[in-house]
Amino acid sequence: MAANFWTSSHYKHLLEQEDVDMVNTLDKEKGITLEDFKLIKMHMANYILKLAQQVKVRQRVVATAVTYMRRVYTRKSMAEYDPRLVAPTCLYLASKAEESTVQARLLAFYIKKLYADDKYRYEIKDILEMEMKILEALNYYLVVYHPYRSLSPLLQDAGLNDLNMTQLTWGLVNDTYKMDLILVHPPHLIALACIYIASVLRDKDTTAWFEELRVDMNVVKNISMEILDFYESNRMFTEERINVALQKLTLRP
Amino acid sequence: MEEKYEKLEKVGEGTYGKVYKAREKGSGKLVALKKTRLEMDEEGVPPTALREVSLLQLLSQSLYIVRLLSVEHVDKIPKAHKASGNPNPQTKPVLYLVFEYLDTDLKKFIDSHRKGPNPRPLPHSLVQSFLFQLCKGVAHCHSHGVLHRDLKPQNLLLDHHKGILKIADLGLARAFTVPLKSYTHEIVTLWYRAPEVLLGSTHYSTAVDIWSVGCIFAEMVRRQPLFPGDSEFQQLIHIFRILGTPTEHLWPGVTSLRDWHLYPTWPPQSLDSNLPSLCPLGLDLLSKMLKYNPSERISAKSALDHPYFDSLDKSQF
Repeated sequence: MAANFWTSSHYKHLLEQEDVDMVNTLDKEKGITLEDFKLIKMHMANYILKLAQQVKVRQRVVATAVTYMRRVYTRKSMAEYDPRLVAPTCLYLASKAEESTVQARLLAFYIKKLYADDKYRYEIKDILEMEMKILEALNYYLVVYHPYRSLSPLLQDAGLNDLNMTQLTWGLVNDTYKMDLILVHPPHLIALACIYIASVLRDKDTTAWFEELRVDMNVVKNISMEILDFYESNRMFTEERINVALQKLTLRP
Repeated sequence: MEEKYEKLEKVGEGTYGKVYKAREKGSGKLVALKKTRLEMDEEGVPPTALREVSLLQLLSQSLYIVRLLSVEHVDKIPKAHKASGNPNPQTKPVLYLVFEYLDTDLKKFIDSHRKGPNPRPLPHSLVQSFLFQLCKGVAHCHSHGVLHRDLKPQNLLLDHHKGILKIADLGLARAFTVPLKSYTHEIVTLWYRAPEVLLGSTHYSTAVDIWSVGCIFAEMVRRQPLFPGDSEFQQLIHIFRILGTPTEHLWPGVTSLRDWHLYPTWPPQSLDSNLPSLCPLGLDLLSKMLKYNPSERISAKSALDHPYFDSLDKSQF
């Protein structure tokens, strides 16, 4: 299950939070703050999800696409790599890497359908060119491990594998992609944090089970706190604030 | 690209493009360049190429997997445009995968022992060593959650002076996730294709690679393929004739596989009549690799511990 994760490129590429939170100099010059940066990435994760629902790909493809997008912005600026093009291109690339290829023309079609705004308008040609640039930015490392895989065996082990808990934890894992957690923490710890939150919400006593796992509970609790903090602040992320942030990117410094 | 590498000769056709032998100008080292033309007007980088690159990035640190040295992306200006002096030539993007160069592959190597001026069996110790390295490589893939799906002698590169074998061509490989289901059917080259794949099973796993390893093992010993079928049906018949027609008793669930039909009932033959030169321990290992029931087939990792390899000096690996 997780055995192969430890030797994978994913593991070797886990980052420190401060490296993930580094706003690129070019973006800073445009007035992008850390808050804006996070907001745009969250918005783009949502955009990827919306597009994915249109073209009908599995959640795993969405998760991989969002991971690519977030990795790209640890290395490249939003000023040079327009998020409105990077997001659909990451979905395109992830669909290929996860063996459920979506045609570029289909993506271009749904982009138009979802956004009337010209700034989102990208054609097939743009997607294909960006694909190459993203591949290089990712240095061709495309295999990503996700928390989903460890979720059901863990739930089963904890005796919590009823439909309600499964759906709740699955949904929580989905939400973690609105944050940068996948770049910073091993996937099984993210899965455990989601189980931890779900068991608190549903009033299930999992203390003994967690104690028996040989994992650092402090890390699990920290991840859980981050997720809860996110839900707390999520309410303030209005469309308007996102637009203001995106607007800065188009301004000349 | 042209500044960095000097193309020496075309050495083959990969799954999706030509392969060249080339020299890296800086170091003088030989490399293999695998070229992928990207059809930008259609669907960008071919998924097989993407899969191969990303899986190689994942697995390439193993000694038994061909090493990917770098990936080079170039925009080629077609010759016709160069001549016409068109100021806006339509560039054609090309992706080169740069691999370490190995001088031959197992197919050519076996051929050279069957045909030509000096036909002779492969030395027993060499078969043993190649098989061990193959199992090492397959175990490495499997431990990373990757199925190769297309193991065949052509895909096993050799440095035959050093006696090294490496797995190449991961174009059809995929990282498997649990549960394993709904894979495409048209994969492994027929001769090395596992019976569950031939019978239309949609839930197949690492055992498909072990079947291929078994077929390759037998082929090294025999110097000709064990099951040389030319259609899916023929392929099954070849297998049944030697191993016997499988039964529910031997392989529970076999008769409910999608493509199962009623076949003539052949009794199993002893493997040694087909491989008279293979030692008893070798026959035992082979029979474990060619078990009908995929869940009974030996894993690559356990194969490494099989007594057949006891006489091999493992310290060199």
